[in-house]
Amino acid sequence: MKISYNWLKQYINLDDVTPYELADKLTTAGVEIEACEPYVLGTNLVIAKVEECYDHPDSDHLHVTKVNDGTNVYQVVCGAPNVKAGIKVILAKDGAKLPGGTIKRSMVRGVESNGMICALFELGVDKKYLTDEQINGIEILGDDAVVGEDPIKYLGLDDVVLDASLTPNRADLLSMWALAKEVGAILRKEVHLPECLDSTNIGTPSTFHLDTQTNKCPYFLGKVVNKVVVKPSPKWMQDQLHAAGIKAINNVVDISNYVMLETGQPLHFYNLAKLANKDIVVKDNIEMSLTALDGISYDVHKDDIVITTNGEPTGLAGIMGGDDSKIDETTTSIFIEAAHFNDVAIRNTSRRLGLATEAATRFIKGIEPMAAKKAVDRCVQLLTELADADGFETNVEAGTNNYEPVVVKETLEHCNQLLGTNYTSKQVEAVLNALDFKVINNNDEFTCHIPSYRTDIKIAPDIDEEVIRLLGYDDLKETLPLMSATVGALNPRQKLRRMIKDVLVGMGLNEIVTYTLTKADYMEDTIMPFGDYVQVMSPLSEDRRYMRSSLMASVLNCLAYNQNRQSVNNNLIEISAVTTQEKVQERLAICLSGHLQQDRLHQVDVKSDFYTLKGIIYDILERYGFNESRIMLKENTIDTIHFHPYRSACIYVGKDLLGIFGDVHPSYASKMDVTNCVYAELLLDVILANKVSKVRFVPLDKYPSVSRDIALVVKEDVQVQKIVETIKRSGNQLVRNVEVFDIYQGEHVEKGYKSVALNIIYQANDHTLKDEEINNCHQNILDNLQNKLDANLRG
Amino acid sequence: MEKVQQVKNDGLMAIEKCENLEQLNQVRIDYLSKKGHVQGLMALMKDLSKEEKPAFGQEVNDCKQALTKALDAKMEVLQKDALKAKLEKEKIDITVAGYKPNIGTVHPLMMIQQELEDLFVGMGYSVAEGPEMELDLYNFERANLPKDHPARDMQDTFYITPNTLLRTHTTAIQMRVLEQAKGQLPIKLICPGKVYRRDDDDATHSHQFMQMEGLVVGENITLTDLKGTLRFFAKKMFGEDREIRFRPSYFPFTEPSVEVDVSCHMCGGKGCNVCKQTGWIEILGAGMVHPNVLEMSGFDSSKCSGFAFGIGLERVAMLKYGIDDIRNFYTNDVRFLKNFDRFD
Repeated sequence: MKISYNWLKQYINLDDVTPYELADKLTTAGVEIEACEPYVLGTNLVIAKVEECYDHPDSDHLHVTKVNDGTNVYQVVCGAPNVKAGIKVILAKDGAKLPGGTIKRSMVRGVESNGMICALFELGVDKKYLTDEQINGIEILGDDAVVGEDPIKYLGLDDVVLDASLTPNRADLLSMWALAKEVGAILRKEVHLPECLDSTNIGTPSTFHLDTQTNKCPYFLGKVVNKVVVKPSPKWMQDQLHAAGIKAINNVVDISNYVMLETGQPLHFYNLAKLANKDIVVKDNIEMSLTALDGISYDVHKDDIVITTNGEPTGLAGIMGGDDSKIDETTTSIFIEAAHFNDVAIRNTSRRLGLATEAATRFIKGIEPMAAKKAVDRCVQLLTELADADGFETNVEAGTNNYEPVVVKETLEHCNQLLGTNYTSKQVEAVLNALDFKVINNNDEFTCHIPSYRTDIKIAPDIDEEVIRLLGYDDLKETLPLMSATVGALNPRQKLRRMIKDVLVGMGLNEIVTYTLTKADYMEDTIMPFGDYVQVMSPLSEDRRYMRSSLMASVLNCLAYNQNRQSVNNNLIEISAVTTQEKVQERLAICLSGHLQQDRLHQVDVKSDFYTLKGIIYDILERYGFNESRIMLKENTIDTIHFHPYRSACIYVGKDLLGIFGDVHPSYASKMDVTNCVYAELLLDVILANKVSKVRFVPLDKYPSVSRDIALVVKEDVQVQKIVETIKRSGNQLVRNVEVFDIYQGEHVEKGYKSVALNIIYQANDHTLKDEEINNCHQNILDNLQNKLDANLRG
Repeated sequence: MEKVQQVKNDGLMAIEKCENLEQLNQVRIDYLSKKGHVQGLMALMKDLSKEEKPAFGQEVNDCKQALTKALDAKMEVLQKDALKAKLEKEKIDITVAGYKPNIGTVHPLMMIQQELEDLFVGMGYSVAEGPEMELDLYNFERANLPKDHPARDMQDTFYITPNTLLRTHTTAIQMRVLEQAKGQLPIKLICPGKVYRRDDDDATHSHQFMQMEGLVVGENITLTDLKGTLRFFAKKMFGEDREIRFRPSYFPFTEPSVEVDVSCHMCGGKGCNVCKQTGWIEILGAGMVHPNVLEMSGFDSSKCSGFAFGIGLERVAMLKYGIDDIRNFYTNDVRFLKNFDRFD
């Protein structure tokens, strides 16, 4: 919303407030001013008279002029075709700063030039507001221009434009009158708005037939004006329209726009003579095409609101009038439309057709109920003054504006209670009066009669907000809630996440956060699928159409990004919700690539491989409280598309599938443009659903332990786990621990066999073991290994 | 007698001369073993008179003790020297790099989230969560944003069906908690989470971002309580000296509504590029819970009041760490992540 400072000055005395101060005050009170700039940009400008003008000796279009600003005579080279001796012009003197740059003394084809004679667009006036003549030549000032004075002031362009970003609740401020009231309330100054006569019964009884046949047009107010004279509107009106960003056309059209800016009510003037009949009906449910007054043909859909006359569409209601009945120089009589159209319908039509007109914008943001009436009254006044209007007919009406005056009550006590302030009755009353709320104060209960345009004020807290925003937030104290104590704590899920991150980050992994929305291609790569995919109705792109239901593609994508940037060691985790139509799961992704730890100098070498990943997962699960015996691994047979079929595993807690981990299948890795990586995806919900064992102290061993190493040769397909279990089971309770410390295949071991070296710790908790006891036990173990696994001591 | 003195003096001399433990051990054998010089003196005993024997015996004993004492003392000195020499030999170059285990990083957005969770949990808040695929009811209607409310345009939405959507703000979580509370006071929670809006991704916009909202509902909760609470947030995130300021604003779910500025942490409020010379940085939106919101969720708005605030975690992280492009958070370049190697 562009606000002309000069326009506001018509209503309020702003002599002691600069536009910049006003901008600050408006912003502080909640009307955010994003920019505050002079309408015309230019320094060192003066009104000067061209005393001499002759052709440049070395050019076919340049002129050399002698220009007098009342103090000095300057030689200026000018290229404009319309420059001539005797005219008064805008001279930008040496050093003048214009939007296009700084004017400097220079030589133009061998002739000295001290300044520039300006066209208006060179001062920053938008070309759309100028005539061809003004665009092609310099600005020629009137005879009344006084040489030596400020041309900007003379032209009435000494305005400053404040660009306001309005919050959705303050659509009323799209009306200059409501804005003036707001400024008056902020500055505590009187506001004088134009007073208009009630137009309802001005003129002869109308025979115009008006009807609305759709609830999308609840109210339509109209008036016939049988005589208008179309001519240019006065300069002040043109300047103010331009400052507000609207092009001046002629007095009648300008009045419709001017009154819209004043009242916030979009208006449409029909060329009465071009209406086929003295009849307008508002309808919807029509499909056809219509040429609007911009000359472009638009498709009308069923939901659009259409103005029809004599059964034929003549305009897109609330957006743009039809071409047939538009106002032009030949117009001599008009019909005024001031209607309410449904914001949603207008929004949909405006969006579909890409027509964000000033009228549409206002309808979408909401029109105050009394705006139509105010606008018609004002039109009658201005048309009479500026367009020699006559032959009025009485107002015609269809529907109702549904206006019911709003009364809101608030007490001083409640106001201060909600805000935590100590305002006095006097302070509050003064604010409410400044807002024109017509307050009745009864024992500190304020009964407020809300002006029709303040549609945002409905309940007591709305009043409180008005009070504090106008009295200022700066003095607001700082307190903390006084209430019964509450226990703040993370829940088990939140604690689990923290624990996982603490452990994994401590081990060297980097946490990542990737996008939820993904593409169809990746959805097909969901691992552990659990329902139907969710897709958004209008995605920004095909790459972001679906909600992901597994993390693998996103995480591998991130790995690919980093590998493509020469990052060798990439160890990543992500914890995120994943979603299907039926369910939400929370998953943990771990992706290892390269080394987890590496230090060649100190011979540390922890590879990012299957066993490192497995160890990490076990660490997390044991730290969470699952005894190792509750964790089960099975060979992965459920997903061998994304995982290497012989280097991956399904992991279970009890009977519940917790997830899959292992080497990424080489084909899938190549599809995802990653190399050398292992990946795990685990279901946090499964971890949370299983009970953990309690932390318990185990008494320290009192008796010494005995350590024995053995090396076994077994067939290569014998699982190491089987050997360990066999030892433990055959150990007669004396085996305290079994550790595998080497697995070897190659020289000195027969093909198809492997050597497994183990350390066994024997210990009893009630006595010191005797040699004989250990030897018997050890032999029993060796026998069982041989019988059950065909494992022999390596010779 | 002279003989005893002689052995003693020779012995002490020999001990003195020892340069290492082997020599000292030889001296010990030479003098104090069963066949040593001291024992040899005892052989002289038989030539002495009965009266002389005790004195001589005493003399030999003294000699033995003196030598033993000297030997032990010398032993200690030599052992110390030997240890010293051994340690010197073991000298290492302490400037060689140590084995420094690689420690990972928490994502910067999660760091901010954790820090704020800890701050508010410490003040008695619980941490609530909710689904990212949300019902229109909780995301909009309950938040006083009925269908076709113009403010719905402020947050262009990814709809999934006409009634389900990707939540546009974590307010949706608040509405669920309010409903579950069935009118029971007090409510004191924060709700962090991912939210989604139909914005094209660029340096300052992201279709996915993170919010953390806070909600307190009780008897006599005031706007000053909101300001006092947010001061803690500002201090925690941007430093002890930070102040906050309110400016009027509009949100459909709060009344009054405010924009909250924090005094600039870069210049301390004097004015700089970060705060665009204003001394203040716009950080978050807040306000007093709209009575309609309370009523729709089953609270009697005449008997309670509340405040709510909403923090954009990306914005906080960008300001705090000087990050200039929001897309960095979701690209996860490990070089980017490694900047955030500690909470501060």
